[in-house]
Formats: sequence, structure tokens, C-alpha cells
Amino acid sequence: MDPYKNRRWVIILIIISIGLIFSFRLFYVQVINHEWSHRAAKISLKTENLQPPRGFIYDRNNKLLVGAETVYDIFILPIAIKEKDTSLICNLFDMSKLDFKKVLENASTGYNVPYKPSVFIKSMTQLEHAKISPFIGKISGVFAEAKIDRGYPLSIASHLLGYIRRIDENQFQNTRANGDFFYTKNDFIGITGLEKQYELLLRGQRGNINYLKDYAGNKIKTVNKIPAQPGKSLQITLDANLQKLGEKLMAHKIGSIVAIEPSSGEILAMVSAPSYNPSLLTGKNFSKEFERLKQNDSLKPLINRPVYNDKYRPGSIFKLVQALIALEDGVITSNTGFSCNKNIIGCHNHERPNNLLKAIKHSCNPYFFQVYKRLIMKGKGKNIFEISREGLGNWEKKIKTFGFGSTLGIDLPDEKSGFVPNVSFYDQWYGKKRWAFSTIYSNSIGEGEIGVSPIQMANLAAIIANKGYYFTPHIIKEIEEENIKEKFKTKHYSCVDAKHFDVIIDAMNEVVNNGTGRNARIDSIEVCGKTGTVENKNFNDHSVFISFAPMNQPKIAIAVYVEFGTWGSKWAAPVASLMMENYLNGFLSNKSKIKAAKIQSEVILNKNTKF
Amino acid sequence: MKYRNLSIWKNVDKPLFLFYFILSIIGYLVMYSSNYNGFEIQDFLWNTNYGKQLIWLILTFFFGVFILLIDGNFIKNSSYFIYGIVILLLVIVLFMPPIKGATSWFYFSSFSIQPSEFIKLGLSLALAKLLSDVGSKFQDFRTKLKAFLLIVTPAILIAIQPDPGTMLVFSCFVFVLYREGLSGNFLLIGLFTILIAIVGIFLKASNSVFFIGSNAVSGNLFFGFILCIGFLFSFLIIRYFVLPRFRKQKIRSLIFISVLGLSISGGINIVYDTIFKERHRTRFQIMFGVKEDRKGAGYNIYQSLSAVGSGKIFGKGFLKGTLSNDKFKHVPEQNTDFIFCVLAEEWGFSGCMVFIILYISLLVRMIMVAERQRSKFTRIYGYCVSGILFFHFMINIAMVIGLAPVIGIPLPFFSKGGSAILTFGLMIFILLRLDAERKVVLR
Ligand SMILES: [Zn+2]
Repeated sequence: MDPYKNRRWVIILIIISIGLIFSFRLFYVQVINHEWSHRAAKISLKTENLQPPRGFIYDRNNKLLVGAETVYDIFILPIAIKEKDTSLICNLFDMSKLDFKKVLENASTGYNVPYKPSVFIKSMTQLEHAKISPFIGKISGVFAEAKIDRGYPLSIASHLLGYIRRIDENQFQNTRANGDFFYTKNDFIGITGLEKQYELLLRGQRGNINYLKDYAGNKIKTVNKIPAQPGKSLQITLDANLQKLGEKLMAHKIGSIVAIEPSSGEILAMVSAPSYNPSLLTGKNFSKEFERLKQNDSLKPLINRPVYNDKYRPGSIFKLVQALIALEDGVITSNTGFSCNKNIIGCHNHERPNNLLKAIKHSCNPYFFQVYKRLIMKGKGKNIFEISREGLGNWEKKIKTFGFGSTLGIDLPDEKSGFVPNVSFYDQWYGKKRWAFSTIYSNSIGEGEIGVSPIQMANLAAIIANKGYYFTPHIIKEIEEENIKEKFKTKHYSCVDAKHFDVIIDAMNEVVNNGTGRNARIDSIEVCGKTGTVENKNFNDHSVFISFAPMNQPKIAIAVYVEFGTWGSKWAAPVASLMMENYLNGFLSNKSKIKAAKIQSEVILNKNTKF
Repeated sequence: MKYRNLSIWKNVDKPLFLFYFILSIIGYLVMYSSNYNGFEIQDFLWNTNYGKQLIWLILTFFFGVFILLIDGNFIKNSSYFIYGIVILLLVIVLFMPPIKGATSWFYFSSFSIQPSEFIKLGLSLALAKLLSDVGSKFQDFRTKLKAFLLIVTPAILIAIQPDPGTMLVFSCFVFVLYREGLSGNFLLIGLFTILIAIVGIFLKASNSVFFIGSNAVSGNLFFGFILCIGFLFSFLIIRYFVLPRFRKQKIRSLIFISVLGLSISGGINIVYDTIFKERHRTRFQIMFGVKEDRKGAGYNIYQSLSAVGSGKIFGKGFLKGTLSNDKFKHVPEQNTDFIFCVLAEEWGFSGCMVFIILYISLLVRMIMVAERQRSKFTRIYGYCVSGILFFHFMINIAMVIGLAPVIGIPLPFFSKGGSAILTFGLMIFILLRLDAERKVVLR
């Protein structure tokens, strides 16, 4: 008999217990604990963002202003870089071995890990990429990836269009905090201008694609795909030709041009000088150029003056508003005459202003001193302080109906409000009952404390052209499938009745034909305008001109502001007239071309330019 | 002859054959799935792993039928010869060019042969022959020495290759020897050693520290201290509660165990600090969950456990694995050592249970078959086969599901590899053949 026969049970027991242990373990790993299956999903599934192409921007005649340009990001994968390739890489990208070593270190530390590719050179142009592409194919660990940057075929309207740049850490965190998970690192975002204003429409909708990957990260099988929706294209109200001419005319000068279609509020041109080439702020030179434009240029070319600079005093163009309010208030009629008393306030020699038309035609300062005095000192009794307070209060309310002292609501970022001095301002400035008309009379001729932005000046021209109302000036003409124009279709009325505008319009016509604005005349077109010369104590005065044409059916209203341009008719008036001629006729006459060339070549960057 | 054939098939143990057959089919399907990358008929037979595997499987069944036809006595008498031939092959293979750092293979164009697989069969036969020979008693020292030499010779040859996984399988013969009369103390001492080693390595790997009063003491020192107290306590128990006539013997074994326990725990300290390389330490740290390392040494286990876990209850379905499939290769060695992942991922917990039940049934059935033999040779041989298959099963699955460190060892009937498929098949067919003869002759 076999004495060890029962030992089989020990062995069978061991076998079965091992089976049980495995079963429990498997039950835990596969059924109870879901951790491992989550990890499996992480290992095998990859989600990739599909980047939508950014919407294009076209002008009112469907000319492409902002398109796309392919640029290339060069990536490195530190673990795949071979020692023998380093000198080739250094030659190719023109860097020292030490620099490249630093690049490798950076790409391997912190957020970057050596087995993940990181950006090495951003935004190479197609040309640059074509030069290196045959070589990088042979280097392991270096590869290029195409990205769509902005392209500017016409190189105009840089301020208005704005620019995009790669999202920085702050913006990235902010967008996330606001529940916007669109961006990933290295993505572009609109920073200024239309790019910022219409960012949400231009950027489109990101899609994504889930796929199964193999151990090396290669796509094997797509599981689920949501295609990206391209950004919407914008058509804007700008006229590219007009804008181009405006930028030419304002070359080597400081100032603004704003042209508006009065019947719609559409902005036809918006020039901010000095300007910059929008292409500078794309591609790999962004940082360098941005610093140069922002820090090292005292003329601040990055500022969009037409909406941002609200510290401009309007000068004599303000007399038009004073006259309109005075007519509405009934403190004067079109036949009211005052003497040109140069003792009160300076003036030049001209015929006697025995009616409003002549006063405007000659821009008579003492006349408007009197007009403003009647407006402010309208009240009766009490004392001059009380009367001035009441008068200024009324005047402020009315002046604001012309769009001054608050933002108009243009669809551009950073619009500034300008400033209309009011009772509380003077109370703070001088103290209560320490000021009266005699303290604030310089408002009468648009000097003093009033601050106006060029867009508000152009809007004034549009109000007069429309005989009393305006549409909020705006840039957007059309967006695919979006109904965005509604808010720009409301008429905003000034406080002045339409009937009071005729005399002003006649007067403005006279200004151009026989008055201070003769430089703005255009053959065959009746132009209305008003010059302004904004006093600048120790330097050349600023040159201002607002205008619209044709007189009877205005198609364009324009404001031109040339800083340090001495007087209104000197630079601003001819610039405005050339703009209007070009817009209304579609071309410039030969005579005008010569004039334009002359203006273009003029340099007025200095506060004391001698003419 | 014809009559004899039929009688053989009649006497073949149907359950054992069925378990083996079903496992082979499942194994082949899993192996097919793990290598599946779109089916191309022209590549099928010669250029794909599953094509080659099919050839090996057919070859195995062909040889199997052949074995069923030959005389069992012939097999028994060829035992030493087969053993000798394979040992010779094991020597020659050492001079072959190394593949992945090991000289384990002979290459014939696209097929390869691994003699270390065949030795499992050769050794089983030779050991059975040695222990069943009339006149050799296991209790004799000479027999023990011979058995020891039979086992150790191929083990050393395989250690030279090196192939630690296969070497480890050789320890399964402890079960066989135990069944044949080796003192149960060996099993217990083995278990005791493993237990002490596991605790010791765990304490080292986790850098445990214990406090005695306010003094921090390293975990291992503390463990040794506890062991000493335990032994002292046992000594006192023996001293006062065991009858004087047994006392001397008990105290002797206690001293033996004490010395063994303390030297193992102390030895682990030294081995862990000096002989172990950092990667070994990491492997243990990962196994004990002290460290999670997804890219280095823990990669295999992490990937394989993810694949296993993602199978959930019912799995992803045949050919639908997304981690263990050859197309994805997230699990390394997914068609050899880690093939269990494919089964677990595609068939889920339910599939795993079917597999475990089938496999355990096969092992237990083998023991039952072995136990019913009048022939000692067949019984020992049956235990050998059962033990080998059990150790493969135990080590392989434990590794895949993260219960043991990574040790390269195939899963019988599943893993890619012709030599293994053939060896395991022949081992079972020989057992079937020998069993079929049990009523005919007495050996
Ligand atoms: Zn005058």
C-alpha cells in the first residue's frame, strides 16, 4: 500500500487555492476596481483637437484684407535627438552648440518632458521652411508642423484690424476661469481691433477627434470625430481704396482720418498715423517687432487714435454745435449779428459777421463768444454763478446728444468717451460759486477742457449731413449667418430740429467755397466743411477739418486731424477733400494726384515743423 | 492492428483529452487575436505568428496520434535516451548566436526551436523512470542524489543561457518528490522561506521604520527582533509543555528553523543592499505597490494590468482588444509571456473564470489519472506533467495580474512558440497513451 497516497489532496488543495487567489484578484481588478480600466482608456485613447481656420476679413467691396498664411512651427523631441546631428541642427538654425544645449534643457524640464515634443522655433515662413525642409527630414527628433497665421495682402488698416498672437499664460488662465475651454497653449487669440472684437466669431469652433493609438502614439483607428467649424468671415464697411489713400496722405504725420457714410453710420476709412505694417506683427518676429513698436517709438504707432485718443480739443469745428444749440434754444436766429470785437477774444480780419452764415464762414471767435454767452447766461435773476450753473447744465445735456462726452458704441475695443466739462467738474476745479461764464468761455470755440475723439468729430459731420441724427458708427458690414447689424440701425437724434441745419449747411458750403476751407474745394462737387485750428501754446497748432459731400445728398462725412499741422485749411482740409474726391468719383483728377503726392511727401512729425 | 487502434481510443481518458483540446482551441484563438492585424490569406501560413502556430498545433496533434499508436513500454524505455538527447541539445544551443541576450534557440529559416522546452518532457520521463525502477527506493540516499542530479544538470545549463523563468519551473519537482515520499518539512520549509523572504523584502522595499519607545528602528531589525522573541517563546512552550522524550527532537528542529529564519531575513538585508541592482529593487517596490513607475520597470505590469482591468465583466470581444492587440502593442510581449492579457481584455472576467476552471480541471484530472495507475512510472510521470503545467500557470498569471515580479515564462497552450506548444502537447499525449494502457500491463 502506498503510504503517501493522501498527499495528493495537499497538492490538489494548493492548486485550487492558487486558482481561487487568481479569481479573487481578477474579480477585484476587472469588476470591483474601475481604476485599471480608466488607466487603459488613458493609455489607448488619444483626443486631438481639430483647429478651425480663422475667419477672413473683407472690405465693403469684397477685397480681402485679412487672409491666411501658412507658417511652420519647428518641434524638437529631446529623447530622439542624436548627438551626431547636433552640429547639423546648429548650422541649419544658425545657433551655437551651447544655445542648442540650453534649448534641449528647456525642452526637457518643467512642463516639457523629454519624450514629448516641444516648440523649438515658432512660425517660420514658407520660404524659410522650404530651405530647411530637405534636411530636417533626415534628422531624428526634429520636425515641422504647419500652422495657419494671418496674412495681409493689402497691408492696410492695421489698427482697425488688430492682430492676433499666441495666447499667454494669463489669458489662458482667464479664459479657462470664464468657462471658455477653446484655447490650448500655443493657440492664437485676437488682441486688438476687430480680431479682438469679433474673436468669438472669427475663431470658429474647435472640433476633436478621438482615436486609438498604439504604444508609439500613432493613430490606428478613429473612434469618434467632431469636425471643426471654420471661423466666420467678416465683411467690413471699410473701403480699401479709400483707406489706402488715407494712409498714404497721412504718411509721416501724426493724426487721424475717419470717414463715415452718414446714411448708415458705416465707417469708410479709419486712419491712425503713424501706422505700421500689419505683417510685422505676425510670424516669428512678433515679439521683437512688438517691443520695438510699443516701447521704443515715442509716436506710439500701436495706438488706434481715432477711437482711443479722446483728448483732442475740437477747436473751431465746435462752433457748428454751438450755433445749432443756440438756434434750437432760440437765443439766436440765422440773422443774429455780433461785432467781431477782438478785445474779448482774438480773431483775424474779415467782413463784419452780421449773420450766422458769415460768422461760420469766417470762423469768427468773438461772435461765438457771444453765442455761448447767451446759451450759458440764458437764465434770469439771482447771480451770475447760479445762472452759469444752470446754463452749463442745460448746455451739457444738449451737447451730449451730439455724441460727445460718452462712447458712441463703435464695434472696436478700447473706445474712449471724450469729455464734456460740466457743473460738477468746474465745482471741483474752481470750487462752488467760484466760476461763471467768464471762467469757461473758451468752450465756445472748442478750446478749454473739452476732449473729443476723431470718431466723434466725424460723427458730428454725419449728424449735420443727416440734418439732425446719426447711426452709431460701425465697422461690421456682414457676418456669415449672423444678424449682427440690428443694433446699428437705430437713428440717434440730436436735440436740434432738422430745420435749423439748413443755415449751417449753407454756411459750411460757403466755408469751402469762399471761407477758411477753400483748400477743400473739389471741382464739380459741392463740399461742406469747417476748419479748426486747435491752439497749441508753444508749438505749431493742430490742423482740423470736418466735412461732408455732396452737399445735397451726402455720401461721405469725414474728420481729419493733423497734429501740429498749423491751421485747419493747411493740411486737414486738402486731405479731406482728396479723400472725398476719391470716394465720390472713384479716382483722383491729375491735379489732385499732384496735390496728393505733395502732401504724402510732407513730414510733420515735429512739434515745430517749419512750413 | 486496426482492433488495437480502436481499443486505444476507447481507453483514452476523454475528460483529460477534452480539457486539453478545448484549452488548445481557446489558446489558439487568443493567440490568433493577439497577433491579428487584418487577415491576409497569402501571408497566413508562413509569415504570420498565428499561421506558424497553426502549423505547430497540427504537427503536435499529428505527433500525438503517432504517440497514441506506439507502445507505452517503448516510451518508458526511451526515457533516458530522450533526456540525454535534449541535454546534448541544451549544451549545443549555448554555442548558438544569442537572441535578446540569451542563447536559447536554434534557428531554421523562419522557424525556431527551443530545447529548454523539450527538457521539461525529457526530465519528466527520466525522473519517472529513475524513481519507478525496481530496486530504487526514494528513501535511499543514492536515489535522492541521482534525482537531484537529473534535475540540477538541465537547470544549470538553462541558467547559463540564461532563462530564469524556465529554471524556476524546475522547482515544481518538489511536488512530485513530495508525493513520492519527500518529507513534508521541505514543503513547509519552502513555504516558511518564501514567507520570511516576502516579509523581509517588503520591509526593505518600503523602507519601513518602527518605533521602540522613541527610537526609530529599521523594519528589518525589528522583524528579526520579533522572530527572536517568537523563537524564544516557542522554546519556552517546548520546554514546559512537550513531553521530555520528544523535547530534544523538537528543540533541534526549532533551532534549525530559528537559524534558517534569521539567516534568511539577515541574508535578504545583505542581498537587497549589495547584490540587487536598482532595477531589481524597483521591481519589488512596484510589486508591493510601494512605488508606481509607469515608464521604467513598472511599465509591463502597469500596461498589462490596464489591459486586464479594461476587460471588465464580459470583455471587449474577439479581435477587439485595444491594448493587448498586436496593432497597438501597449502591452509588451503580448503574444508570449503576457498573452493572458489578451484573454482578460477580450473575454473579461467571465472568460478568465472559464479559463481558470478549465485549467484547474485539467491539472486535477491529471492528478486523478496519475493516482489511478498501477504503474509507478505513469503515476510519477503524471505528477511531473501536472506540476510543470501548474507552475507555468501559477508564475505566468501571477506576473500578469501583478502578484509577482516580471519573470519570463510562457502560458501553456496560449503563448506563441512552437517548441512549447509541441512539448506540452506531447507531454499530455504521452500521459494519455500511458494511461490508456493501465489495464493492459503492469509496470
Ligand atoms: Zn471775427
